[in-house]
Amino acid sequence: MTNPCTIQLCDQPFEPLEALAGWQRQLEGEALGPAAAEAHFIGRVRATSASGAPLEALELEHYPGMTEMQLAQLSQACAERHGAEAVLVIHRVGRIRPGEAIVLVAVTADRRGPAQRCGQELLERLKHEAPFWKREWSGGVGTWVEGNTAW
Amino acid sequence: MPIQVKLFASLRERAGWSERLVAADELPATPRSLWRQLRLSDGVEAETARAGQADALPQGIRVAINQAFAAPDAPLADGDELAFLPPISGG
Repeated sequence: MTNPCTIQLCDQPFEPLEALAGWQRQLEGEALGPAAAEAHFIGRVRATSASGAPLEALELEHYPGMTEMQLAQLSQACAERHGAEAVLVIHRVGRIRPGEAIVLVAVTADRRGPAQRCGQELLERLKHEAPFWKREWSGGVGTWVEGNTAW
Repeated sequence: MPIQVKLFASLRERAGWSERLVAADELPATPRSLWRQLRLSDGVEAETARAGQADALPQGIRVAINQAFAAPDAPLADGDELAFLPPISGG
C-alpha cells in the first residue's frame, strides 16, 4: 500500500498551524483521519548566524525537480519502514526572515512510537539527503552554510 | 548530444556559471572526468582537496545524474543531466 505523502516547497512565508489544519481536513476527506497518533515538528529560522552575529535573513537554494523527488522518496521510505499512515513535509525556499517557519514535518500513525520515530528519521534524512543549501545574510554579507549541526 | 552540467550554491558562485552543455573530451565520460575537464577544482582551498588524489572530487561534493545521487565514476550517457552538489544544509 502506498502511504499518502504530501510534499510542498513554498517560496512565501507559511503559517504551520494553518497548514496542519488544512492537511488534517484533507486526510479526513480521504477517510483516513483523525489519526490516533500525530507527531509534528516545526523548524524556525534563528535570530543569529552560526558565528553569533545578528541574522538578517536565511536564503535557501534548492535543485528544482530533484529536491521534490528526494523529499517524496524519503517520506515514502520512512512511512513504510515505521508503519506510519500519512506524511506532510512543507519546506521553505528563497529568502526567509528570522522567526519564520522553514520546515514542517507531520506524521500520522496508529501509535505514538511509529509517528515520532518516522518524523525524527525523516527530518534527519531530509537534512542530509534532500538538496537544499543555506546562505546566512548578516551585515549585508552572505555566507554559505556547509553541512548541518549534529542535532 | 552533449551533457548538461549544473552547479549549485557555493560551487556555482566559485565557478561563475550555473549551467553548461558540455561535450566530453574523454569517453566514457564520468562525473569525475567532467569535473577535471571543467577545471572545477580551481579555487578550491588546498585543505579541502584530497591530498595525493588529483582526480578526486573535493570532500563533501556529491554527484547527481538525472536528478538521482550517483557515484563519481558512474558512466554518463549522451543527453544526461549531471549536477555537482556542495554539502547539503536543509531543514
